[in-house]
Amino acid sequence: MSNQIQDAYIVAAARSPVGKAPRGVLRNVRPDDLLAHALNAALVQAPSLERSAVDDIVVGCAIPEAEQGINVARIGLLLAGFPNTVSGITVNRFCSSGLNAVAIAADRIRLGEADVMIGAGTESMSTIPMGGNKIVANERIFIKEENIGIAYGMGMTAENVAVQWKVTRDAQDEFAAESHRRALAAIDGGEFRDEIAPYTVRERVPDLEKDVIVEHSKIVRDDEGPRAGTTTEILAKLKPVFAAGGSVTAGNSSQTSDGAGAVILASETAMKRYNLQPLARFLGFSVAGVPPEIMGIGPKFAIPKLLKQTGVRQDDVDWIELNEAFAAQSIAVINDLGLDRNKVNPLGGAIALGHPLGATGAVRTATIVHGMRRRGHRYGTVTMCIGTGMGAAGLFENVT
Amino acid sequence: MAEIELMMVRKAAVLGAGVMGAQIAAHLVNAGVETVLFELAASDGDPNATVRKAIENLGKIEPAPLARKSLSGHIQAANYDEDLAQLEDCDLIIEAIAERMDWKRSLYERIAPHIDSGATIASNTSGLSINALSLALPEALRSRFCGVHFFNPPRYMHLVELISGPDTNDVILDQLEGFLTTTLGKGVIRALDTPNFIANRVGVFSILAAFYHTERFGLSFDEVDALTGSLIHRPKSATYRTADVVGLDTLAHVINTMKETLPDDPWHKYYESPTWLQHLLDQGALGQKTKRGIYQKAGKEIRVLDRASNQYVASGGKADDSVASILKNDNPGERFARLRESGVPQAQFMWAVFRDMLHYCAVHLQDIASNARDLDLAVRWGFGWNQGPFEIWQAAGWQQMAAWISEDIAAGKTMASAPLPGWVTEADRTGVHEADGSYSPALNRDQPRSRLPVYRRQPFPDRLMSEPASYGTTIFETDAVRMWSTGDDIGVVSFKSKMHTVGPDVLDGIDQSIEEAERGLKGLIIWQTEPPFSVGANLQGGGGGKRDQKTSAFASAVKKFKRSAQAAVLDAARKLNVADALMSGRLEKIERIIAQFQATNLALRYSSVPTVAAVDGMALGGGCEIAMHCDKVVASLESYFGLVEAGVGLMPGAGGCKEIAVRAAQDAKGGDLFPFLRRSFETVAMAQVGRSAENSRELGFLGSADRVVMNRFELLYVAKAGLNAMHEAGYRPPLKFANLPVAGRSAIATFKMGMQNMLAGRYISEHDYLVGSKFAYVICGGDVEAGSLVDEQWFLDLEREAFIELLATEKTQARVEHMLKTGKPLRN
Repeated sequence: MSNQIQDAYIVAAARSPVGKAPRGVLRNVRPDDLLAHALNAALVQAPSLERSAVDDIVVGCAIPEAEQGINVARIGLLLAGFPNTVSGITVNRFCSSGLNAVAIAADRIRLGEADVMIGAGTESMSTIPMGGNKIVANERIFIKEENIGIAYGMGMTAENVAVQWKVTRDAQDEFAAESHRRALAAIDGGEFRDEIAPYTVRERVPDLEKDVIVEHSKIVRDDEGPRAGTTTEILAKLKPVFAAGGSVTAGNSSQTSDGAGAVILASETAMKRYNLQPLARFLGFSVAGVPPEIMGIGPKFAIPKLLKQTGVRQDDVDWIELNEAFAAQSIAVINDLGLDRNKVNPLGGAIALGHPLGATGAVRTATIVHGMRRRGHRYGTVTMCIGTGMGAAGLFENVT
Repeated sequence: MAEIELMMVRKAAVLGAGVMGAQIAAHLVNAGVETVLFELAASDGDPNATVRKAIENLGKIEPAPLARKSLSGHIQAANYDEDLAQLEDCDLIIEAIAERMDWKRSLYERIAPHIDSGATIASNTSGLSINALSLALPEALRSRFCGVHFFNPPRYMHLVELISGPDTNDVILDQLEGFLTTTLGKGVIRALDTPNFIANRVGVFSILAAFYHTERFGLSFDEVDALTGSLIHRPKSATYRTADVVGLDTLAHVINTMKETLPDDPWHKYYESPTWLQHLLDQGALGQKTKRGIYQKAGKEIRVLDRASNQYVASGGKADDSVASILKNDNPGERFARLRESGVPQAQFMWAVFRDMLHYCAVHLQDIASNARDLDLAVRWGFGWNQGPFEIWQAAGWQQMAAWISEDIAAGKTMASAPLPGWVTEADRTGVHEADGSYSPALNRDQPRSRLPVYRRQPFPDRLMSEPASYGTTIFETDAVRMWSTGDDIGVVSFKSKMHTVGPDVLDGIDQSIEEAERGLKGLIIWQTEPPFSVGANLQGGGGGKRDQKTSAFASAVKKFKRSAQAAVLDAARKLNVADALMSGRLEKIERIIAQFQATNLALRYSSVPTVAAVDGMALGGGCEIAMHCDKVVASLESYFGLVEAGVGLMPGAGGCKEIAVRAAQDAKGGDLFPFLRRSFETVAMAQVGRSAENSRELGFLGSADRVVMNRFELLYVAKAGLNAMHEAGYRPPLKFANLPVAGRSAIATFKMGMQNMLAGRYISEHDYLVGSKFAYVICGGDVEAGSLVDEQWFLDLEREAFIELLATEKTQARVEHMLKTGKPLRN
């Protein structure tokens, strides 16, 4: 166990629905607006908490530039209506940014330097393309063979994992189809109702015939990604997109998405003062590095490191939210760690639900803490692989 | 009052979104004419669903009907139920619905109240009588009604037959001819109102004659195709595959029209679909569109229908060696004499098909066309023959051929027994195409070419074989180029090399032309008497055989892109033709040639007089670089630009890379260079060739000031107009660039990063990576800080060095060698 002086509890966890990028329902919604929405949605779950009591808001964002640049955390919280005395910081570790935000927020409490924190994440991949608006490589990455992996796109690394771990195309497609099946069943079963705050999209578009501006308004309640009728057979028809004769397709990769999530954390003192009910206790977080060219294998090293650090046995973890960046790396991690497939992503994963890069950690934290409460699970972990070769994992304990 | 040459068409409507209607609409927007496309309202949902689908489909048809894909957005979808009022704004209405008189009649009734009093209405019918259609219109509209018969695919087929109705106003016809010629770029032939007009009448008869004789001489379909395609300079699809491409149902329909409407024709009994054709139609095997017809593709194998068994069998029919050698004989008279004498059935077949076709044309000329030139050009432009029937006849010796045909008529060998018309056998006749015009049976004299004002724009129209190739007065001439003028103080330089490749001698010729032009002419135009513009550099002076570049044929249009891509790479290899030089360590010599090429291109850019590249057909590699260095490019729509050197492991060396860098710097206007470089990087690294002049512009090979000309025969006229405009505006050469920002080191790394993924994904080879890296290095200005300022020579030096470095690699040498040997690219 770590040398914390007090526990950090999650008292609220909410998120926006996740839209498909770049042509989905949230394509015209700004990432700072999405963040403000998630922050307010979390506050709804803790109505007795005063906004001014929040010490700092940590926001994960993988490509913090343009619409989600110039410290989107601060802009989002001000747009959400927090008093300007509340501060904000944007953090980035690509796909674990949202989870890192929650961990950093928790650590401030565990260290005793704050009593109420928010960890959040936001990403609009419709607005900011993967890699950002301008990618500029360093010539020196080509000097050392071991650095060339930095140049690889994520899909290429998934191909590498598929080859090295002998993950077949069939296995990947089957995994992907199962992700869609689980996600659709979860939506039907109302599993996401506790965490999703429906988003009202308002779009103003020119009507050229009538020569007026028309406002369309639409309430988005569910994640847009899961697609009914996605079968292994249909997925098998897709062509590999990253390598000639490869196995990774658009269908067995995570979807690009838009979304935001926010988690309110409090110390026991703060919970008493503001009459807050805990959902879960934050137990720990760890991160590990792996070769960039096989970045997808990251969780294989982050999860054991986390378990060792927290003293929880793998078998005691009831729920694993393993971000499905690619079916190939998910399967490799599951097989190598001997994870129970039934415990991994019971409500579907990023292949179906989408992966709004920096938001995912906060979004899936919301999923797991509400889910564990409903199911009476005790331990749950949120874990993911990270571009340029890392894995991250965070552990939560249901205390409801 | 000035003559109005062209019909003013602000907006056009096309009625019917079938194969022809939609593609005619596409060509109208290619020409910049706003177009409304009408179709029946869909029975449920969006009433424009059907027409929208047709418009969307234009992006998928090959060869592409649209000069650039985004043009489809300029075709407005409409339906007859809701949108007829839109016709009121249309100056030209082209009806292209199914060939049913009753349907056309009821449509005309519906649209009549909505047609503007100044509008012209034209039917794209291929078989119905314009007379009869005219009667379906209210009387007030008849003077503005006529037939315009486009050929499929309308963007690529040069021919449009223009048919007057009984009441059509002559002025309207003339203006429409102007519009079709200049605005749409077509070759207009006035046809008489007879069934199937000219080209289809002759072309389809020629197919029927082939059908008939195939059976008589017991040949197989693929054997006939081997005989009647490229061996006789016609499209490779020859007879039976052309039928598959056209559609067997369409063909049967045209045959049936002839049967029903030409009862007194001496060949009437042949206007019948053969039983095997009927059998295919019954099975729904309509040719290419149903993936089964006379031919069927089974995997990679092409199978052909066997008449006897009605089964598809392996295809591999070949021309008999003796027959092939006869057909390759350059002397047309001898060719026919030997075909006639030969006992080989294939030879007998060829003679019979030619004989009956010529017999048919002679008998029918008077009924269907004004003169022999119109018939010949119609068949050339509509069916892609390199010579018209009468040209073939005349070349073979008029009297001898006439005697042979008469002999066969007398002997009962011909399909019909009608005698040759009297004018054919006049004792002193040596042909039908003479210096003063072509023979018109109706006038019983030679008729000159049309004197409509629009043809003043065509100083060198498509030539008949009898018309001498004569281009102005020579200023100077070498083995490689000829510089000439037509007395307007404008110098034109035309290359004499095969495929207009550029070797040191051509470069010398261009240099000398620039000097001559600077000595007292208004400027210099680079124009070739026939396409291509140039397939690139030839560093050795060798080069392949000259190929016929006429692209009017249907099949050649279909094949165009495959072929041009192949030729592109072939050219790049030829451009080098360096294998020998390499062996003997003559890289230095090549570097000198590259330096000379760069200097010539700079001279084109910085000469004291304006320079114009008038481009038709391919402008590849060094040819593209020449065009990019002229002050202005004037390009026919069917011109295809590309820097294709990467195909053989090289990169542009004569200023192409420099131009990419300079244009990126200009387009970026002080902002980020990378997005502009990236577009060109992808184009050049993948050796992409523009699929039209407009698409070439999208790829960055043409600038916004460069002009696209729809009619290639007007190219030189427009080039001269452009040059005159520059001259009159007080031309000064552009100032030399001194402060060009470069993208530098990190941009090179970023390109390499992208390629690293392609390499890891096995999409490219190590050598592709090397070629791409060197190219990136050059266009980014080398291993320097981003934003460093350089001049043009900096880029030129980088590109010349990189070119030579690549040439020195074994793998590039292997690619070049392989290309020269096999004509195919080597992946290594």
